[in-house]
Amino acid sequence: MDVNEISEGIFEVRKGGKKILATKNANPGSNVYGENLLEEEGEEYRAWDARRSKLAAMVLKKMKVPIKSDSRVLYLGAASGTTVSHVSDMLPNGIVYAVEFSPRTMRELIQLCDTRSNIVPILADASRPKLYAHIVEQVDVIFQDVAQPNQAQIAAVNAGQFLKEDGHLLLSIKARSIDTVANPSKVFKEEVNKLEKDFDTQFKIIKKHDLAPFHEDHLGLVAKKKLKEN
Amino acid sequence: MKIITWYGILTIGDDGVTECEPFNKDVDELAELLLQKDVVAYSPGSGFDIRTVAIECGFVENDEEYNSLLRDVSIRAAKLQISRTNTPDMQIIQAVEALDDIDDVVNVLSERLSEWYGLHFPELGLSSEPLVRFVSEFGSRNNVPAEHPMFEKATSSMGSELPSADEELIMGFASNACELYDSRHSIEASIVRNMEKMAPNVTLIAGSLIGARLISMTGGLARLSQLPSSTVQVMGANRALFKHLRGRATSPKHGIIFNNPLVKNSPWWQRGKIARALAAKISLAARMDVYSGELHPEIKVNLEKKVNFIKAANPKPPVKQKPAGKGYKGKNKGGER
Repeated sequence: MDVNEISEGIFEVRKGGKKILATKNANPGSNVYGENLLEEEGEEYRAWDARRSKLAAMVLKKMKVPIKSDSRVLYLGAASGTTVSHVSDMLPNGIVYAVEFSPRTMRELIQLCDTRSNIVPILADASRPKLYAHIVEQVDVIFQDVAQPNQAQIAAVNAGQFLKEDGHLLLSIKARSIDTVANPSKVFKEEVNKLEKDFDTQFKIIKKHDLAPFHEDHLGLVAKKKLKEN
Repeated sequence: MKIITWYGILTIGDDGVTECEPFNKDVDELAELLLQKDVVAYSPGSGFDIRTVAIECGFVENDEEYNSLLRDVSIRAAKLQISRTNTPDMQIIQAVEALDDIDDVVNVLSERLSEWYGLHFPELGLSSEPLVRFVSEFGSRNNVPAEHPMFEKATSSMGSELPSADEELIMGFASNACELYDSRHSIEASIVRNMEKMAPNVTLIAGSLIGARLISMTGGLARLSQLPSSTVQVMGANRALFKHLRGRATSPKHGIIFNNPLVKNSPWWQRGKIARALAAKISLAARMDVYSGELHPEIKVNLEKKVNFIKAANPKPPVKQKPAGKGYKGKNKGGER
């Protein structure tokens, strides 16, 4: 067994010929959603399943994740905290703002927050950033996984309010939640177009990749804010 | 210009922050303030960094303190928000769901019991609750007392004998199902009680169980009150509605409000009209329940007047006509699979 850091805070643990994606457990001794704990050189790692996490799938698709150990991250669509817990692992000196709309899933997310020191839970509608602009600071990274038909717009308004000039947007676009019958690649093209042109905050796409086979009909995307031309 | 942040109120002049009034550094107080309503009107502009200001104006010493205080406050606030979303209608929604779950389970169990006990006493002829109560009370048919109406049948049954070990098993099984029926009755009673308290007008018009079901389907009384009554009318007739929207059928006349006696006990040609009137009054009643909470018996009187009017105006069934037009292939039976 050996460990290889493939991006800041993201590790690849080799175990019996298998490569397992993992993060360093910030709360050693306990897991969050039934994932395996791996002991290696006195450190504990939590296995990270790309089938359950869009972000992990992006990592396996060789997309560069711009999260550093002291990053400030805004996470939109936190759900019950599966991926948030790994982001929290990556940020020993940073903080993640986890926005979730449903009180039912927020209940589980809060239980995770109680065990970790760097998650700020926010129960609010991600399409209305003004509702939490008094809580969230300027961030280095926005990660968004909301499965809403207007997800491009949600990304734009949040980036406009919170993303630093040199910050990154990580976005997972679910074709089926925009149009259930249209051809996914057509939907992706339209959404990318929207991100580049449609809103006050416009993006420059750095990299995009289909997330199959981990997530069908999903597009992973890394982007930066297009700087305003004066 | 004033802006509100989670830690205090800032005044912004032409060259940056001119004044900073921090709140008390108390987690409970800050959590309450975090949830105040006017944050949108006084929200920081795009690109404004609230963290630097918090440290500059001395609210917190450094980044670490900022992080840990904000974390504590927002966890507290989120917990408050969650406890506030647990309104009485959430209780009703869960109770309705529990009722449906119990019905599913109890049907399976009583069918099993009917097969099992049928080996021993096939002539009994009872099913569901009466069967379950009978078996858990007597067990073997030999225990049926002489004055019981089933005594005759019990003594002349063609069923096999029931060994005492099996009798114990089957009685235990039946008494479990009995408890489920008991629990079903008490849940139903609690729905009736809660509905009368929370939604007296809806209860008066629709009946407590139909009202509770409508609330459960919409996700809350407030949401029900915001729906158009045409939606209330067909709620629960999803299959029929979507078939209609795809253009393959006429529109459904009633969803779960069919179970209201006004609709159910009327002849078929009046039901659609009555359902429409009933749905209209249910919407009205829901709005009264949300916004005033007081009982208004006159809507029931008005509804009855309207129903009587419909009945008087349509005493006879209409003569059915085949719709004209090309491509009509008669009634579409069966539908989509």
